[in-house]
Amino acid sequence: MFFLKKLKHTITLHPRFFGPDMEDFVKTKLYQDVEGTCSGRYGYVITVVEVLKVGKGKLIPGLGSAEFDVEYQAIVFKPFKFEVLDGVVKNVSKMGFFVDVGPLVVFVSGHAIPSDMKFDPNGNPPCFQSEDQTIEKGTLVRLKIMGLKMEPTDIRAIGTIKEDYLGMIGQ
Amino acid sequence: MKVTNKKVPVLRRGYVQEEDAAKLILGDDFQEEQCLFISEVKILLDAQRESKTSGDKNVTGVYQSAFDYVNQFARFKNQDTVREVRQFLAEENLESFEVAQLANLCCEEAEEAKALIPSLALKKDDDSLQSLLNEMLTLKKFQT
Repeated sequence: MFFLKKLKHTITLHPRFFGPDMEDFVKTKLYQDVEGTCSGRYGYVITVVEVLKVGKGKLIPGLGSAEFDVEYQAIVFKPFKFEVLDGVVKNVSKMGFFVDVGPLVVFVSGHAIPSDMKFDPNGNPPCFQSEDQTIEKGTLVRLKIMGLKMEPTDIRAIGTIKEDYLGMIGQ
Repeated sequence: MKVTNKKVPVLRRGYVQEEDAAKLILGDDFQEEQCLFISEVKILLDAQRESKTSGDKNVTGVYQSAFDYVNQFARFKNQDTVREVRQFLAEENLESFEVAQLANLCCEEAEEAKALIPSLALKKDDDSLQSLLNEMLTLKKFQT
Protein backbone atom coordinates (compact mmCIF):
# COMPACT_ATOMS: atom_id res chain seq x y z
CA MET A 1 0.00 0.00 0.00
CA PHE A 2 1.16 3.50 -0.78
CA PHE A 3 1.05 6.04 2.03
CA LEU A 4 1.59 9.73 2.44
CA LYS A 5 3.66 9.83 5.58
CA LYS A 6 5.37 12.44 7.70
CA LEU A 7 8.89 11.43 8.53
CA LYS A 8 11.90 12.89 10.28
CA HIS A 9 15.51 12.79 9.34
CA THR A 10 18.67 14.33 10.73
CA ILE A 11 21.03 15.89 8.22
CA THR A 12 24.67 16.49 9.02
CA LEU A 13 26.13 19.37 7.06
CA HIS A 14 29.82 20.13 6.59
CA PRO A 15 30.90 23.68 7.52
CA ARG A 16 31.80 24.52 3.92
CA PHE A 17 28.08 24.64 3.11
CA PHE A 18 27.30 27.18 5.82
CA GLY A 19 26.05 30.42 4.33
CA PRO A 20 23.08 31.99 2.62
CA ASP A 21 22.12 28.87 0.63
CA MET A 22 22.33 26.58 3.58
CA GLU A 23 18.68 25.56 3.55
CA ASP A 24 18.92 24.50 -0.09
CA PHE A 25 21.90 22.32 0.72
CA VAL A 26 19.98 20.73 3.55
CA LYS A 27 17.07 19.96 1.23
CA THR A 28 19.28 18.58 -1.53
CA LYS A 29 21.04 16.39 0.99
CA LEU A 30 17.68 15.21 2.32
CA TYR A 31 16.59 14.13 -1.16
CA GLN A 32 19.89 12.32 -1.66
CA ASP A 33 19.75 10.64 1.74
CA VAL A 34 16.19 9.40 1.93
CA GLU A 35 14.80 8.95 -1.59
CA GLY A 36 15.08 5.38 -2.76
CA THR A 37 15.91 4.01 0.67
CA CYS A 38 14.13 1.11 2.25
CA SER A 39 13.72 0.17 5.86
CA GLY A 40 11.72 -2.55 7.52
CA ARG A 41 9.84 -0.01 9.58
CA TYR A 42 8.70 2.45 6.93
CA GLY A 43 9.09 0.46 3.73
CA TYR A 44 10.34 2.07 0.53
CA VAL A 45 10.62 5.86 0.50
CA ILE A 46 9.73 6.64 -3.09
CA THR A 47 9.90 10.38 -3.17
CA VAL A 48 9.83 13.42 -0.90
CA VAL A 49 6.70 15.44 -1.65
CA GLU A 50 7.29 18.36 0.63
CA VAL A 51 9.84 19.55 3.18
CA LEU A 52 7.74 20.70 6.11
CA LYS A 53 10.27 22.06 8.52
CA VAL A 54 14.00 22.52 8.69
CA GLY A 55 15.05 22.80 12.29
CA LYS A 56 17.72 25.10 13.65
CA GLY A 57 21.20 23.79 13.04
CA LYS A 58 23.12 22.49 15.98
CA LEU A 59 26.90 22.32 15.93
CA ILE A 60 28.44 19.02 16.87
CA PRO A 61 31.10 19.69 19.52
CA GLY A 62 34.58 18.89 18.28
CA LEU A 63 33.63 18.50 14.64
CA GLY A 64 32.38 21.79 13.28
CA SER A 65 29.60 20.13 11.29
CA ALA A 66 26.01 21.00 12.06
CA GLU A 67 23.00 18.78 12.49
CA PHE A 68 19.56 19.73 11.23
CA ASP A 69 16.36 17.95 12.19
CA VAL A 70 14.18 17.92 9.11
CA GLU A 71 10.50 17.00 8.92
CA TYR A 72 9.20 16.01 5.55
CA GLN A 73 6.29 14.36 3.85
CA ALA A 74 7.02 11.44 1.59
CA ILE A 75 5.27 8.84 -0.51
CA VAL A 76 6.18 5.49 0.97
CA PHE A 77 5.32 2.00 -0.17
CA LYS A 78 4.97 -0.62 2.50
CA PRO A 79 3.63 -4.13 1.95
CA PHE A 80 1.61 -5.86 4.65
CA LYS A 81 1.00 -9.50 5.39
CA PHE A 82 -2.20 -10.79 3.70
CA GLU A 83 -2.48 -7.71 1.52
CA VAL A 84 -3.67 -8.30 -2.05
CA LEU A 85 -1.53 -6.62 -4.71
CA ASP A 86 -1.20 -6.55 -8.49
CA GLY A 87 2.17 -7.03 -10.13
CA VAL A 88 4.09 -7.94 -13.27
CA VAL A 89 5.81 -11.32 -13.63
CA LYS A 90 9.53 -10.81 -14.08
CA ASN A 91 11.02 -14.25 -14.07
CA VAL A 92 9.69 -17.80 -14.30
CA SER A 93 11.55 -20.92 -13.23
CA LYS A 94 10.51 -24.42 -12.23
CA MET A 95 10.60 -23.42 -8.56
CA GLY A 96 8.01 -20.71 -9.05
CA PHE A 97 8.05 -17.13 -10.31
CA PHE A 98 9.07 -13.63 -9.27
CA VAL A 99 6.65 -10.71 -9.44
CA ASP A 100 7.58 -7.03 -9.47
CA VAL A 101 5.22 -4.96 -7.35
CA GLY A 102 6.79 -1.56 -7.79
CA PRO A 103 10.09 -1.64 -5.93
CA LEU A 104 9.17 -4.86 -4.14
CA VAL A 105 9.93 -8.31 -5.53
CA VAL A 106 7.55 -11.07 -4.46
CA PHE A 107 8.37 -14.74 -4.91
CA VAL A 108 5.51 -17.12 -5.60
CA SER A 109 6.67 -20.65 -4.98
CA GLY A 110 5.44 -23.72 -6.81
CA HIS A 111 3.44 -24.74 -3.73
CA ALA A 112 1.49 -21.49 -3.87
CA ILE A 113 0.41 -22.00 -7.47
CA PRO A 114 -2.86 -23.87 -8.14
CA SER A 115 -2.12 -27.54 -8.67
CA ASP A 116 -3.66 -27.64 -12.14
CA MET A 117 -1.00 -25.21 -13.39
CA LYS A 118 1.99 -27.09 -14.79
CA PHE A 119 5.45 -25.74 -15.48
CA ASP A 120 6.35 -25.91 -19.15
CA PRO A 121 10.16 -25.65 -19.49
CA ASN A 122 10.04 -25.95 -23.27
CA GLY A 123 7.76 -23.00 -23.73
CA ASN A 124 9.23 -19.84 -25.14
CA PRO A 125 9.39 -18.07 -22.74
CA PRO A 126 9.09 -20.72 -19.97
CA CYS A 127 5.67 -20.56 -18.36
CA PHE A 128 3.16 -22.03 -15.94
CA GLN A 129 0.10 -23.20 -17.78
CA SER A 130 -3.36 -24.48 -17.07
CA GLU A 131 -6.43 -24.69 -19.25
CA ASP A 132 -7.56 -21.13 -18.65
CA GLN A 133 -4.44 -19.22 -17.72
CA THR A 134 -0.79 -18.87 -18.67
CA ILE A 135 1.81 -17.19 -16.51
CA GLU A 136 4.97 -16.12 -18.27
CA LYS A 137 7.30 -13.14 -18.20
CA GLY A 138 5.26 -9.95 -18.48
CA THR A 139 1.92 -11.40 -17.35
CA LEU A 140 -0.06 -9.24 -14.93
CA VAL A 141 -0.99 -11.20 -11.81
CA ARG A 142 -2.93 -10.55 -8.64
CA LEU A 143 -1.36 -12.11 -5.57
CA LYS A 144 -1.65 -12.17 -1.83
CA ILE A 145 1.37 -11.57 0.39
CA MET A 146 1.85 -14.49 2.76
CA GLY A 147 5.12 -13.63 4.41
CA LEU A 148 7.52 -10.73 4.73
CA LYS A 149 11.09 -10.56 5.87
CA MET A 150 12.41 -7.16 6.75
CA GLU A 151 16.10 -6.78 6.14
CA PRO A 152 17.99 -3.59 6.97
CA THR A 153 18.02 -2.37 3.38
CA ASP A 154 15.47 -4.53 1.67
CA ILE A 155 12.16 -6.29 2.06
CA ARG A 156 11.70 -9.87 0.89
CA ALA A 157 8.23 -11.19 0.32
CA ILE A 158 6.56 -14.44 -0.62
CA GLY A 159 3.09 -14.59 -2.09
CA THR A 160 0.41 -16.97 -3.20
CA ILE A 161 -2.02 -17.18 -6.11
CA LYS A 162 -3.68 -20.36 -4.82
CA GLU A 163 -6.91 -18.72 -3.69
CA ASP A 164 -10.12 -17.52 -5.25
CA TYR A 165 -9.84 -14.45 -7.48
CA LEU A 166 -6.03 -14.52 -7.51
CA GLY A 167 -3.81 -15.28 -10.47
CA MET A 168 -3.65 -13.87 -13.98
CA ILE A 169 -5.48 -10.61 -14.56
CA GLY A 170 -7.56 -10.64 -17.71
CA GLN A 171 -7.09 -7.51 -19.77
CA MET B 1 -15.13 -13.18 15.39
CA LYS B 2 -13.65 -10.04 16.81
CA VAL B 3 -12.19 -7.83 14.18
CA THR B 4 -9.90 -5.02 15.12
CA ASN B 5 -8.16 -4.58 18.41
CA LYS B 6 -6.28 -1.61 17.16
CA LYS B 7 -4.49 -0.56 20.28
CA VAL B 8 -3.61 -3.84 21.89
CA PRO B 9 -1.99 -3.15 25.25
CA VAL B 10 1.65 -4.01 25.33
CA LEU B 11 1.69 -7.20 27.31
CA ARG B 12 5.38 -7.49 27.87
CA ARG B 13 8.52 -5.66 26.98
CA GLY B 14 9.51 -6.17 23.39
CA TYR B 15 6.11 -7.49 22.41
CA VAL B 16 5.50 -6.80 18.76
CA GLN B 17 2.03 -7.10 17.37
CA GLU B 18 2.02 -8.83 14.05
CA GLU B 19 0.75 -6.79 11.12
CA ASP B 20 -2.18 -8.27 9.26
CA ALA B 21 -3.84 -6.45 6.39
CA ALA B 22 -6.80 -8.84 6.44
CA LYS B 23 -7.70 -7.66 9.95
CA LEU B 24 -6.62 -4.06 9.28
CA ILE B 25 -3.75 -4.20 11.74
CA LEU B 26 -1.06 -2.08 10.17
CA GLY B 27 1.21 -1.45 13.13
CA ASP B 28 1.61 1.74 15.13
CA ASP B 29 3.46 3.60 12.42
CA PHE B 30 0.83 3.21 9.72
CA GLN B 31 -2.47 2.66 11.52
CA GLU B 32 -3.59 6.28 11.30
CA GLU B 33 -1.83 7.24 8.08
CA GLN B 34 -3.42 8.34 4.87
CA CYS B 35 -3.46 5.55 2.26
CA LEU B 36 -3.02 6.62 -1.33
CA PHE B 37 -4.66 5.10 -4.41
CA ILE B 38 -2.24 3.97 -7.07
CA SER B 39 -3.93 6.56 -9.28
CA GLU B 40 -3.15 9.31 -6.77
CA VAL B 41 0.47 8.27 -6.58
CA LYS B 42 0.58 8.52 -10.35
CA ILE B 43 -0.79 12.05 -10.28
CA LEU B 44 1.72 13.08 -7.61
CA LEU B 45 4.66 11.52 -9.42
CA ASP B 46 3.62 13.00 -12.75
CA ALA B 47 3.46 16.45 -11.19
CA GLN B 48 6.97 15.99 -9.85
CA ARG B 49 8.38 14.39 -12.95
CA GLU B 50 9.70 17.61 -14.50
CA SER B 51 11.77 18.67 -11.53
CA LYS B 52 13.03 15.14 -10.95
CA THR B 53 14.37 14.42 -14.38
CA SER B 54 15.59 17.86 -15.40
CA GLY B 55 19.30 18.57 -15.43
CA ASP B 56 21.82 16.03 -14.26
CA LYS B 57 19.69 14.59 -11.51
CA ASN B 58 19.22 10.90 -11.94
CA VAL B 59 16.30 9.16 -10.39
CA THR B 60 16.70 6.25 -8.03
CA GLY B 61 15.85 2.68 -8.95
CA VAL B 62 13.06 2.63 -6.39
CA TYR B 63 11.55 5.78 -7.89
CA GLN B 64 11.73 4.41 -11.43
CA SER B 65 10.19 1.06 -10.56
CA ALA B 66 7.41 2.75 -8.60
CA PHE B 67 6.80 5.11 -11.53
CA ASP B 68 6.51 2.22 -13.99
CA TYR B 69 4.26 0.36 -11.58
CA VAL B 70 1.77 3.17 -11.03
CA ASN B 71 1.61 3.83 -14.76
CA GLN B 72 0.78 0.20 -15.37
CA PHE B 73 -1.82 -0.16 -12.64
CA ALA B 74 -3.47 3.24 -12.19
CA ARG B 75 -7.18 2.50 -12.79
CA PHE B 76 -8.34 6.08 -12.97
CA LYS B 77 -6.29 8.10 -15.36
CA ASN B 78 -7.78 11.48 -14.80
CA GLN B 79 -7.65 13.75 -11.85
CA ASP B 80 -11.36 14.58 -11.65
CA THR B 81 -12.36 10.91 -11.69
CA VAL B 82 -9.93 10.15 -8.88
CA ARG B 83 -11.39 13.00 -6.86
CA GLU B 84 -14.93 11.73 -7.45
CA VAL B 85 -14.03 8.18 -6.45
CA ARG B 86 -12.28 9.43 -3.33
CA GLN B 87 -15.30 11.55 -2.48
CA PHE B 88 -17.98 8.93 -2.74
CA LEU B 89 -15.88 6.27 -1.02
CA ALA B 90 -15.27 8.70 1.83
CA GLU B 91 -18.99 8.66 2.57
CA GLU B 92 -18.99 4.94 3.17
CA ASN B 93 -17.55 4.84 6.66
CA LEU B 94 -14.67 2.58 5.73
CA GLU B 95 -11.08 2.61 6.86
CA SER B 96 -8.55 4.39 4.70
CA PHE B 97 -6.87 1.08 3.89
CA GLU B 98 -10.11 -0.51 2.64
CA VAL B 99 -10.96 2.52 0.54
CA ALA B 100 -7.58 2.40 -1.16
CA GLN B 101 -7.76 -1.36 -1.73
CA LEU B 102 -11.24 -0.99 -3.30
CA ALA B 103 -9.99 1.69 -5.67
CA ASN B 104 -6.76 -0.15 -6.48
CA LEU B 105 -8.23 -3.56 -7.15
CA CYS B 106 -11.44 -2.39 -8.86
CA CYS B 107 -13.37 -5.59 -8.21
CA GLU B 108 -16.48 -6.27 -10.24
CA GLU B 109 -18.44 -8.47 -7.88
CA ALA B 110 -19.18 -8.21 -4.20
CA GLU B 111 -17.99 -11.80 -3.69
CA GLU B 112 -14.65 -10.94 -5.22
CA ALA B 113 -14.24 -7.80 -3.15
CA LYS B 114 -15.00 -9.69 0.02
CA ALA B 115 -12.50 -12.43 -0.83
CA LEU B 116 -9.71 -9.95 -1.54
CA ILE B 117 -10.48 -7.49 1.27
CA PRO B 118 -11.86 -9.76 4.03
CA SER B 119 -12.54 -6.93 6.48
CA LEU B 120 -15.31 -5.64 4.17
CA ALA B 121 -17.43 -8.72 4.80
CA LEU B 122 -18.26 -7.60 8.34
CA LYS B 123 -19.10 -4.04 7.46
CA LYS B 124 -21.16 -4.28 4.30
CA ASP B 125 -23.81 -6.63 3.03
CA ASP B 126 -23.60 -7.89 -0.52
CA ASP B 127 -26.16 -5.52 -2.00
CA SER B 128 -24.69 -2.28 -0.72
CA LEU B 129 -21.19 -3.45 -1.60
CA GLN B 130 -22.33 -4.37 -5.09
CA SER B 131 -23.97 -1.00 -5.70
CA LEU B 132 -20.79 0.69 -4.49
CA LEU B 133 -18.67 -1.35 -6.90
CA ASN B 134 -21.09 -0.63 -9.72
CA GLU B 135 -20.86 3.07 -9.14
CA MET B 136 -17.08 2.91 -9.12
CA LEU B 137 -17.03 0.89 -12.34
CA THR B 138 -19.35 3.39 -13.99
CA LEU B 139 -16.98 6.19 -13.07
CA LYS B 140 -14.12 4.14 -14.46
CA LYS B 141 -15.95 3.42 -17.68
CA PHE B 142 -16.80 7.02 -18.39
CA GLN B 143 -13.50 8.64 -17.54
CA THR B 144 -12.03 10.63 -20.34
